[in-house]
Amino acid sequence: MPGNGTRKSWRPRLAAATAMLVSCSVLAGCSGPDGVSGTGKVVLRYTWWGNPDRAARTQEAVDLFEKKHPGVEVQTSFSGYDAYKQKLATQAAGGDAPDAMQLDYRMIDQYASGGVLLDFAEQRATLDTGEFDAGLLATGKVDGKQYAIPQARGTETVVYDVTRWKKAGVDLPREGWTWSEWADAMRELAERTGMPGATDPGQSEDAFEVWLRGRGKALYTEDRRLGFTVDDLTRWWTFTDGLRREGAVSPAEQTTQLDGTVENTPLGRGKAISDSNWDAPSSGFVALVPDGITLAPMPYGEDGTPGQYFKPSMFMGVAADTSHPKESVQLVDFMLNDPEAAKILGATRGIPVNETLREEIAPGLKDFDRTVFDYQASLEGKLNAPPQAPPSGDSALQTTFQRDYDQVSYERMSPREAAEDYVTEAKAELRS
Amino acid sequence: MTTTEIPATARTRQPDPPGKRPRTRRREGAAWVFLSPWVLGAAVLTLLPMAVSLYLSFTDYDLFNPPRWVGLRNYTQMFTEDPRYWRSVGATLTYVVIAVPLQLGLALVVALALKSMRRGRGFYRSAFYAPSLLGASMSIALVWRAVFNDGGTVDNLLGTGGWVNRPGWALFAVALLTVWQFGAPMVIFLAGLQQIPAELYEAASVDGASRRRQFLSITVPMLSPVIFFNLVLQTIQAFQVFTPAFAVSAGKGGPADSTLFYTLYLYDRGFVASHMGYASAMAWVLLLAIGAVTAVLFRTSRNWVFYASEGDR
Repeated sequence: MPGNGTRKSWRPRLAAATAMLVSCSVLAGCSGPDGVSGTGKVVLRYTWWGNPDRAARTQEAVDLFEKKHPGVEVQTSFSGYDAYKQKLATQAAGGDAPDAMQLDYRMIDQYASGGVLLDFAEQRATLDTGEFDAGLLATGKVDGKQYAIPQARGTETVVYDVTRWKKAGVDLPREGWTWSEWADAMRELAERTGMPGATDPGQSEDAFEVWLRGRGKALYTEDRRLGFTVDDLTRWWTFTDGLRREGAVSPAEQTTQLDGTVENTPLGRGKAISDSNWDAPSSGFVALVPDGITLAPMPYGEDGTPGQYFKPSMFMGVAADTSHPKESVQLVDFMLNDPEAAKILGATRGIPVNETLREEIAPGLKDFDRTVFDYQASLEGKLNAPPQAPPSGDSALQTTFQRDYDQVSYERMSPREAAEDYVTEAKAELRS
Repeated sequence: MTTTEIPATARTRQPDPPGKRPRTRRREGAAWVFLSPWVLGAAVLTLLPMAVSLYLSFTDYDLFNPPRWVGLRNYTQMFTEDPRYWRSVGATLTYVVIAVPLQLGLALVVALALKSMRRGRGFYRSAFYAPSLLGASMSIALVWRAVFNDGGTVDNLLGTGGWVNRPGWALFAVALLTVWQFGAPMVIFLAGLQQIPAELYEAASVDGASRRRQFLSITVPMLSPVIFFNLVLQTIQAFQVFTPAFAVSAGKGGPADSTLFYTLYLYDRGFVASHMGYASAMAWVLLLAIGAVTAVLFRTSRNWVFYASEGDR
């Protein structure tokens, strides 16, 4: 089309400007194409959940990685578990999953089958899994493909304010104690200190699982259906709700604030004497409980059946659509196999799964890392085998579990009504 | 009026005066160039997502796997099998009924006070408007949560315990956050008040009308179009409230589902439980509900909204 001079000159410029605008908004931050920074470095995004203690050590390890790989820049971000879970799901759905990410046992099935994760076989040369226990490594497989690498091993624990507990003159927790002995201890603690003995475990699907396994049952059957009945859940919630009414465990106002961070637990706020949690994240309590904390095993079933188990505490995965699969897998390899990184990270994510490194760092572990190591060693060979990875729907059910128990602890529903609600929704969730 | 005498078909063939036609076309082209960001935005960011969401509302879609057509199942499940859905509807309606009148009432009171103020009006207007700019942010919502939590400022001052931890109070704490952001309707009220001719008040006081009488017989009727405008706008916004409840309840709509607003439950279904189809269906029901409520407001407005120009007809 013919036109005058002015028209000719502005049109291409406008088009270029528009193109820039559009591409800028697509490639967030206008850092240039495919995650390469202005300085020509490869930029990787690495996200994880955890507490400030883990944040400091992770950053230190990442700095070391950047020093060893001068061409790579790693941008890290972290949050509490609940927030992380939601954010990651949103990013993954939008095709914007971070290059390297920390994953939970409960996420793997969904993310792998949804095509979000890279099959590590594609970068076999970059990642060495020779030092990993084969059984543990297999927990990161879906349909025979290695989509995630276990990062550490963890188990549940009763974490308690040891000074307060001793001062109250109540017998300290011991291995093999039963749920009824636990309940008695909570009542005594509350009576003598005027403070609830523990976080109300009724809201926790994890605690329920330990209790359930102590009775010889499981959350899910092998064919991925619900492994328990309305009666089982009613019994559990009646038990915890009774303790709440007696003041032996935290009141609803405290329990409802739980969001997966240690800061918002009653123990972390100085309003209870103990909490049940996974062992590694309990390190966050060190900064919050000035008198010191100790770990004890979870209560056993009344006939002495242990309900807790060793589980791969978390995994690392790489996005299937990352622009830099090699560098991303290098980062994973570094976090799991580098001896210096292992020393920095200690047991902040649990005891390392690399067996050589585990032995290497064991003597050097100190403070809380030592506590976790000794705690796990004390349970070695005593626990039952872990269940298989939970089905996809479980991720949403964890939140539902907490919400339904809210209805019980605020006395808006009876334990049975809430249990019926939960089981109905769980069945629907697992069907779809 | 001359152009109407030319038949439509003939008009397009009518040759323009020399030199005029290309210029018009060029202007038209320029208009499209300048409009293109908006047109593109509307098409790509609004119309397309709406169409996709309508389609998804008839499917089962978990974000990761391809959508599966399920017909009306999402809608029937919502209305007949989901007690939490109805709890979210209840929480939202309660919130709208509490927050909107409180917010508009406060906005009007402050606007009246500012109108009669002689000095420092600009300062106070900005000061009262500031929360509307800040209030929608996540950080303020988090501060709100800390203030109304147990051990927070309100707890210390009033000794009432944490509001956000009690099912009966949490919704009120969230509503207060909205009410506090009364700046936008306040500015609109203020503009409306300044449009009311001073002679009306002068005439009324000459006739011996009290302040109350003047307010009810002059201010309210003269202001009714503005009140109506604010009411519609704030009601629509209130139905879609999300950020305050999300932050105050840490994303869960608690305690005991008391702040589980419609949009929060929608978000939960979509992004936490990965039921995008169900969430889309919820979104469309919300759209229709807001449309219906707005239509009702417009219908009733005939009875109470007074336009000054009506007198001329």
